[in-house]
Amino acid sequence: MPIATAFSTKPLPDLVADLKSQCICGPPRAVVFFASSHYEPQALSQQMQAAFPGACVVGCSSAGEIAAGRMMSGSVVAMFFGPDVVEDAAAEVVGDLESEPRVAEAFAEFERHFQTPVSQLDIRKHVGLVLVDGLSGREERLMEKIGSGTDVFFVGGAAGDDLRFQTTHVFAVGKAHTNAAVLLLLRLKRGFEILKTQSFKLTGKRLLATEVDEARRQVLQFDRQPAVEAYAAAVGVPPEQAAACFMRHPLGLMVHGEPFVRSPQRVDGLSIVFYCQIKQGMQLEVLEGTDIVADTRAAIERQMTAMGTISGLIDFHCILRTLQLRDEKRCDQYGAIFSGIPAIGFSTYGEEYLGHINQTSTILLFR
Amino acid sequence: MAGQIKRMIDAIIEQRAKGDPLIRIMTKSKLLLRGVDPDRFNRNSADDPQVVATIRAIAAELGTPLELGEEKG
Repeated sequence: MPIATAFSTKPLPDLVADLKSQCICGPPRAVVFFASSHYEPQALSQQMQAAFPGACVVGCSSAGEIAAGRMMSGSVVAMFFGPDVVEDAAAEVVGDLESEPRVAEAFAEFERHFQTPVSQLDIRKHVGLVLVDGLSGREERLMEKIGSGTDVFFVGGAAGDDLRFQTTHVFAVGKAHTNAAVLLLLRLKRGFEILKTQSFKLTGKRLLATEVDEARRQVLQFDRQPAVEAYAAAVGVPPEQAAACFMRHPLGLMVHGEPFVRSPQRVDGLSIVFYCQIKQGMQLEVLEGTDIVADTRAAIERQMTAMGTISGLIDFHCILRTLQLRDEKRCDQYGAIFSGIPAIGFSTYGEEYLGHINQTSTILLFR
Repeated sequence: MAGQIKRMIDAIIEQRAKGDPLIRIMTKSKLLLRGVDPDRFNRNSADDPQVVATIRAIAAELGTPLELGEEKG
């Protein structure tokens, strides 16, 4: 089996032995794991790397995990990549995200490893994973720096901490980090696909961001009106009911006909704070929620038909979608979409694909 | 003056994509996510200094020199 998956809810150190016993693909080239924040991060990272000394081992803390066709919490899930899928792998940490993310230094190390500048790698054979501190607020800048330095796709998610919003961790080669991102660069034997799916339709209403505070992810005005009033009018409610509509009516930046979702987080006076940046002058569509389970199932089925065979997939699944599924008591239905596919995932504090996005399942599929 | 923004955007996309349609789409997407919608500008668009400055900064990060694209106009 080229890709194997595992999950465990045992305590450390038994957890690592339990995961390792499920690694049926032989010695892996790379290991990716997502862990509930209940596990002690340094010990977990150190023990995971020690268990797979010949592999690039990376991961992050989560706000819920996905494996074996189930949505879980309080667990650790892992994916093991054998040499039939991953020809080569290297991992780097980008630390100190609060200052300018030093992606160039990580890319220089990748160049040393792969003997080719990252800007010149074959983008159909190489793919990157990016796992980032989900409370750093620096995801956009990180993705801009990555996207400037290479056209290799980097996809991933912002680490969670089981909705405590205190500390999130990323893990790489035996250590745990905060205020940091982990980049895993893979050279694949058979290639990959990326599926970004979200469950929204357009309402036909638009809002133009006319005054923003990008650093705070805050919109002060839409269409030269206080943001809350303009948003409320667009969704057809009084301003005091605007916040109640945020989950069902986020905004979408349209990119080649697909919304890149910007989710409102909270009202702040007459402004709205979002979970990701909105730039001055952005034209945004007002979205309306549809059925997460049905939409995701259809998207996966279309993708499987197009690809023929899937060796495995990683689902970076927005925590807002998880909360909605929990509310609707449909977590079992969502998890079952991935039954029969070697799949892992986690509930993120935001997804990474070309930029920082919200309320998606951003899925990396391996051929 | 008009049309400079369109020329700058085209130069960035062409230099980055080097004829690869996948990278062309990807570069347009990156510009959109940085607040520059390539489809909103044409040869008659006014040379808004703020937008020009934004695109210059993006081009510098992307490593795509703009002089050639700007001079063509």
